[in-house]
Amino acid sequence: MAAMDEDVRLDLDKLPIKRLEAIDEAGNEHYPPDTSSEEQRLAAIRRIDFSWVIERDAKKAKKAAEETAQQAWPWQGLMESLQQAQQELTVVLDLISTVEANDAVTVATASKPKSTPNEVLVDMAVSAATKLQQLRHLGRYFKQSAKTMEQQFQKEARFYGSLIRLQQNWKVKRQRGTGPGSETFMFDVIDTSQLDTAAMPRFSSMALIPIDQDSLGTLSVQVPQKSCRFLSLQFRGDGANGVENYACKLNGVSSTSSAEEIDTLEDDDVNKSVKHAHSILRNIHKSIFEEQVFDMVIRETFVQSEGINVTGMRDDFLQLAIGQESLLCLSLTDSGHDSESEMAGHEEHANSEDAANLVLATTNGKQEPLKRDASGFLNPKSLEICLLHMFHENILKKVREKYRNIVRYPSPAQAAADDCGLLSHFCMTVAHRIFSNKVHLELESVVSRVPYLHLRSLPTWHSRTSSWSLCLRVPQPILASDRPTNPSDKDEPKYKSRSQFNTKIILKDGQISLLGEGSPSIAGSLTRKPSDGYLINSYNCDLEDLPTMLLQQVASQVINWLHEEAVVLGMNVTRDFLCLYFDLDQGETLGLVAHVDPDDAYGCISWYLTIDHPVEDGKMSTDNPEFEKRRFLGYLSLEVLYSTLMDLINLCSTGVHR
Amino acid sequence: MVPQGQSSSLQRLHHVEKRIVLLVELAGAVMEELGNSQGTLTDAVGGLCREFMLSVKEIKSAYGYRPFEKCDYSARTANEICCKKLEYVNEKMDAMQLSIEQSTNEV
Repeated sequence: MAAMDEDVRLDLDKLPIKRLEAIDEAGNEHYPPDTSSEEQRLAAIRRIDFSWVIERDAKKAKKAAEETAQQAWPWQGLMESLQQAQQELTVVLDLISTVEANDAVTVATASKPKSTPNEVLVDMAVSAATKLQQLRHLGRYFKQSAKTMEQQFQKEARFYGSLIRLQQNWKVKRQRGTGPGSETFMFDVIDTSQLDTAAMPRFSSMALIPIDQDSLGTLSVQVPQKSCRFLSLQFRGDGANGVENYACKLNGVSSTSSAEEIDTLEDDDVNKSVKHAHSILRNIHKSIFEEQVFDMVIRETFVQSEGINVTGMRDDFLQLAIGQESLLCLSLTDSGHDSESEMAGHEEHANSEDAANLVLATTNGKQEPLKRDASGFLNPKSLEICLLHMFHENILKKVREKYRNIVRYPSPAQAAADDCGLLSHFCMTVAHRIFSNKVHLELESVVSRVPYLHLRSLPTWHSRTSSWSLCLRVPQPILASDRPTNPSDKDEPKYKSRSQFNTKIILKDGQISLLGEGSPSIAGSLTRKPSDGYLINSYNCDLEDLPTMLLQQVASQVINWLHEEAVVLGMNVTRDFLCLYFDLDQGETLGLVAHVDPDDAYGCISWYLTIDHPVEDGKMSTDNPEFEKRRFLGYLSLEVLYSTLMDLINLCSTGVHR
Repeated sequence: MVPQGQSSSLQRLHHVEKRIVLLVELAGAVMEELGNSQGTLTDAVGGLCREFMLSVKEIKSAYGYRPFEKCDYSARTANEICCKKLEYVNEKMDAMQLSIEQSTNEV
């Protein structure tokens, strides 16, 4: 309670007696519960009325609010919205600056606006169209690569097909370059097992031949810049009888065949290119071998050997003297001929010169026997082949021995080569050949003038031995079938008269030996076998004496034959070396004498008839020259001689049948 | 004649290569078919794919070829020498024939 100026108010409380709260029907009186002292105090506090204070405050507040409300702007709302807008803008600006500064921005989930069905369809259409385009692109790519692959395969098929064909014969070496497709192939032409290491550096430059292919895949081999050299053998001064160069059969230049056939890819092209490559490789291989042989020949000349006589040497040329007269030139030459002139030369050189010579020597028997230079007769080509063959055999033998360590028994020809070295064997072979030709000429000149002689060359399989057989064919007697035979000899073959007499001429290195079948041997007459019945007369002689000795041998064979025939006919005959004596009835002796003369142009064997009258005792026939007659009969054929024999049967006294 | 084993292996390789080309063409055709703007014929695609798989199987079954080297240069040299001998003998025979003809003509 506040002392105020105003009237004080007083509230009078009721007496604190318990007041009756309620009376129920029963009349019971209900009094309010007794409150505690605290509650009495609170109740007392509550009795105080502070309402007038509260009213007073409320009034004051109302007044203030009324005042402020009266003072508000009319743009308050605008300002508030502007402020909100400004807040939003600052947020956006912050966001933008953050994004510009590349800071990570986490956007609160912004849900995409749900697209309309139209948009979905459009998106699908676009992606489908893109896919289709890509597929089409892929399809075109596949087709294009198929075409390219096909071309590539075709090209490679041509190349590798040709390579395989050539690989059957030639070694192929492969070199891997850097990057794909840069593999290069090369032909290796050298057989390393054959060459000595000493000779390798010389040949290694030509060893590997690169293989090219052109845009169509056709295989081609480069022609080496260093042209191939081949061995050629010549006799000095023999330019006209030219050395045939069978080398290098390159047809034309390779460039002519490449450019034209771009359109047609036929098998012919492949065949042509393969053949061309093959011929080039063949030439190179041959050239390497022949150079190797030349090398070996040169090396052999450093060793002094029998028969080798070097008179000139350069790096690609060797000159040897053979005997007294001939000079042999061995050289390495390029095949400098064009294909046309070489082919023409090939046709010309059909050895017509040699053939003409042979014809002259045999048919024109009446002419002077041709004494030609013997080396002109000898074909250098055959000697060249012989040389190559010999050296190759030697190489093979060395290779075999190296690899197998076996000593093989060599053939006699090889043994001869081994004894004295290859080159000296070769030189001696050449010398032998030259001499053999001379012997042959002599034989031919003899045989051409004796019609009943036949000359035959015999093979000897040795390069330094030559052999001929001179066959004297005698006519068969008429009474051949009536020859008496011993009945006890029925099991043995019938005795046949000889139909021929053989003389063999053997030439070994320059040594001539004659083997002539002569008179029947005693052993032969006992056994009655004609095969082993005849004495072989064996002589050695020189070239000058050869014709004479031959003719003598032949004449004695004729005499032999006549003697046999006469004996069979029952005539009383005796024989001397070149004479046949008939005993005539009157005691006279008729002589048939053979005369040989190798220089006689008409015939070598001529016949004389002599009559020798019996002399009284004490007188020699030579004292009466008029009784001795010698009649020249001429160059009689064997038939004539035989008929002469028959004519003399009547004149002769019959002797005892043998 | 080319020995049988060698040529057939090269031929096999060639065959395989042709199949590969065909294969790639098939793939291209499939792609084109799929990329056909008119719509895809599934049958055609199915057929092409089947051919594709068959070709792949074929290619897998073909085996590679190996080149073989068979050469003997010493025998080759011997043959070259034989060739020379034969040519020479031929020449001589021709000459003989010529001389025989000449002699018969003269008769």
